[in-house]
Amino acid sequence: MYRYDEFDAALVRERVEEFRDQVERRVSGALTEDEFKPLRLMNGVYLQLHAYMLRVAVPYGVMNGPQMRRLAYIARTYDKGYGHFTTRTNIQFNWPALSDLPAILEDLAEVEMHAIQTSGNCIRNVTTDVFAGATDDEIEDPRPWCEILRQWSTIHPEFSFLPRKFKVAVIGAEKDRAAIRTHDVGLRIVRGADGETAFQVFVGGGQGRLPHLGQEIATAVPGSEILAYLTAILRAYNLLGRRDNIHKARIKILVASLGIEAFREEVERQFATLRQEDLRIPDAEMDRIRAYFAPPTFADLPKTSGAFDRAVLADADFARFSRNNIRRHRQAGYASVVISLKPVDGVPGDITAAQMETVADLAERFSFDEVRAAYEQNLVLPHVRLDDTPALWRALREAGLATANADLVTDIIACPGLDYCSLANARSIPVAQDLSRRLADLAWQEKVGPVRINMSGCINACGHHHVGHIGVLGVDRKGEEYYQITVGGSPDEQAALGEIVGRSLPADEVAPAIQRALDRYLVIRTEGERFIDTVRRVGADPFRQAIYETLDAAA
Amino acid sequence: MRIVTANRLSDGRVIYLGEDDRPVESVAEAAVFEAAEAETAQARAAARPEVFVNPYLVEVTGHAFSGRDRLKESIRAAGPTVGNSLSTDTGAAV
Ligand code: HEM
Ligand code: SF4
Repeated sequence: MYRYDEFDAALVRERVEEFRDQVERRVSGALTEDEFKPLRLMNGVYLQLHAYMLRVAVPYGVMNGPQMRRLAYIARTYDKGYGHFTTRTNIQFNWPALSDLPAILEDLAEVEMHAIQTSGNCIRNVTTDVFAGATDDEIEDPRPWCEILRQWSTIHPEFSFLPRKFKVAVIGAEKDRAAIRTHDVGLRIVRGADGETAFQVFVGGGQGRLPHLGQEIATAVPGSEILAYLTAILRAYNLLGRRDNIHKARIKILVASLGIEAFREEVERQFATLRQEDLRIPDAEMDRIRAYFAPPTFADLPKTSGAFDRAVLADADFARFSRNNIRRHRQAGYASVVISLKPVDGVPGDITAAQMETVADLAERFSFDEVRAAYEQNLVLPHVRLDDTPALWRALREAGLATANADLVTDIIACPGLDYCSLANARSIPVAQDLSRRLADLAWQEKVGPVRINMSGCINACGHHHVGHIGVLGVDRKGEEYYQITVGGSPDEQAALGEIVGRSLPADEVAPAIQRALDRYLVIRTEGERFIDTVRRVGADPFRQAIYETLDAAA
Repeated sequence: MRIVTANRLSDGRVIYLGEDDRPVESVAEAAVFEAAEAETAQARAAARPEVFVNPYLVEVTGHAFSGRDRLKESIRAAGPTVGNSLSTDTGAAV
């Protein structure tokens, strides 16, 4: 993985010292809250319902054992013993004291981590495919490009005060495991005319109050010119994006109001002036960065593993775990393992300090010291020998981390909602817990197959409810919590926004209604059809009926 | 009737304006104000930014939250309604 050079290290340390001074000045009264707030936000520090919240960047979701262990140390020393992984593959701490924050940032800097640009109207943490560099369907590993984008965008003077926040995701495969069309800019690696790396570029995606899917703006921008092209997009946005209305400030609104054609022309105009050498990525620099992401030294192994096969036969629980949480790898004899952070009754994305330490140990022991944060609020060990998977599974099980539900109905994505978030209208966690208890039977979940349920506690859509196969949005009706349900959303290469099925439901009706929709699916699906395929074939109506049937009967 | 609430500067915890304008942690100890007094009370809290961050007024009946934000304020007063997820012992005070 990428290692800081002297410039990176100096920059992060300077930022820690600067923030230490700012905190001291706030505490002494030299800075007012109004003056301090933008400064703390530049370091990922929010003030939530009950406490400060620190959002730590996990660049493109990649961590090593020592970093994970340091996060555990922070959770235990300065927080309540746990952390929360988000849909942006960052980790959030919910309870730090203001005076501890400089020390926390210093602890992070020691393991090459920070909270820079995890908030504010700048280019946020770049996200990617959690299986980058490990899957067999990849054109090229996207992580070196993510690192280039990180270096280019970090404290970029021109793009530190955009009209609104800006999110970029990059994938290297046809299959979209990073929801690129829900981002301000989504990049997909393709092969250019001469076989060189190029990027298909989507622009203007975003969720929140006015959701839009990104539209294609370019089919194949050469890799060496991608920084110039992105600069052109951001320059157009910076100049033309609205600053008078926060709800209309995202690039999605600009692209929608100009139309993609006119926006493309504007970008092309900027691009033509920018195409010169200074934004070209030199081959030597690209090679230098690629070297950090070179594949680990895999052993030469047979495709199948006797130890794995025997464990599958011997233990039904392991067999289930292998079906649902163990994924194919590009290297024979290896697999990627999904660590679900969605136990029955759990808070999606939460992990204890002790569990983080276990994951750190297991990454070191079994996965070349690498662990990934997934957009689904799970973790992944990307390079595990098939031979080792039974031992890994036993260790995960002991730590309460072996829930075999990856991509199944209880692999629920949910934002913190009104239990923590000051912007929320309603709670999301208790509704997720209710669903996870009600739908806990793994045999039934496997019968239902892959279904993505996403929940947000308000229209900001941090839980990606717009693109959930089933989406749940908390709304406020005269001070009471209600939930609006959508069906048919999809975050992947067939991205779609869900359709609202009808009036919103009270909290205790949400899980039963979703269960009825899933039961209906089991009746009407055709052989081998996934939930989302059935919705696409028959539309939302049968599900609408199922969701409201007993409710209407009772009314 | 209203009370003044805010977050405490040092740790972000929820606090209220109590008797003699002391910061207090429990709603039960919050001083209750009539409409006209409430705004000056809020201003007194705002004048002490080293303690009270973002003070604002909340409607109560007695010491019970009563306005549109009663759910949010109850959660602020009592903490998250969910545990912290965790089936396993963290070894840390929660
Ligand atoms: C301190 C808590 C948080 C605050 C104050 C917050 C604030 C916001 C706001 C205001 C938006 C709307 C942005 C816009 O439309 O311009 C948003 C969107 C979003 N947030 Fe959060 N958020 C918080 C926590 C989280 C968490 C915990 C997650 C992940 C679990 C998350 C992930 C996202 C995502 C994925 C979006 C949608 C981005 C888009 O518009 O495409 N946020 N957040
Ligand atoms: S969706 Fe709303 S409630 Fe949920 S974390 Fe985002 S801002 Fe808070």
